[in-house]
Amino acid sequence: MKVRLGRAALKELMTEEESQDQLPSALLLAFAPMHRTAMGAAFGVVLGGLLFLMTMALVVKGGYPVGPTLSLLGHFFFGYTVTFFGAFVGLLWGLGVGFLLGWGFAVVRNLIVWSWLVLIRSRAEMDEYGDFLDHM
Amino acid sequence: MLREEEQLAKAVVKLNAKLLGIVFGMLLGIGMFLATNFLVLKGGENVGQHLVLLSQFFPGYSVTFLGSLVGFAYAFAVGLVIGSVLGAVYNKVARA
Repeated sequence: MKVRLGRAALKELMTEEESQDQLPSALLLAFAPMHRTAMGAAFGVVLGGLLFLMTMALVVKGGYPVGPTLSLLGHFFFGYTVTFFGAFVGLLWGLGVGFLLGWGFAVVRNLIVWSWLVLIRSRAEMDEYGDFLDHM
Repeated sequence: MLREEEQLAKAVVKLNAKLLGIVFGMLLGIGMFLATNFLVLKGGENVGQHLVLLSQFFPGYSVTFLGSLVGFAYAFAVGLVIGSVLGAVYNKVARA
């Protein structure tokens, strides 16, 4: 799909406060990069919180054996067990692993958007200067 | 005056926490519904012996058609919370 925006259409997208030198907010919204640290923190909080709550739910529920399946995570998360103390270890592991996942997600997403932007720009330049030799 | 590249580099994506919550909720809910019904339709001796472990966290969930509806509701709720927290934390840190 090819989207072409003329100058008139671009000006329509701009609010009154935006000067002529600024990009329209719609374009900034579409191509702005994702905050890597923020995405890492968000993923970390979610993963850590989830692991903490799941562990605590099983600990509070009790029974024997407590969380035999969830405790298999201990193979990857050293020190993690389905106990009260293990819930906090899991929280830390979740924060760390979640941060890496979120940070990596943001990096890959930004890389893809940047590549897309480069592609659009090079195509636009090709369209603009493609018939350069015809005018010689 | 900022050049286009500099403006783009300085801008940061903001997430709509509510919308992200609904998207995560729908994805998890539909995923759970499909996974459960896939196992139900597949049949066998011990239907969904691993998926049924989710009933430890989701009381009332089972690997049956009715259970898939219960699972959808639970997974949607969990996804809603996950997406909302994700969006809220992201926006909070990105704004700081």
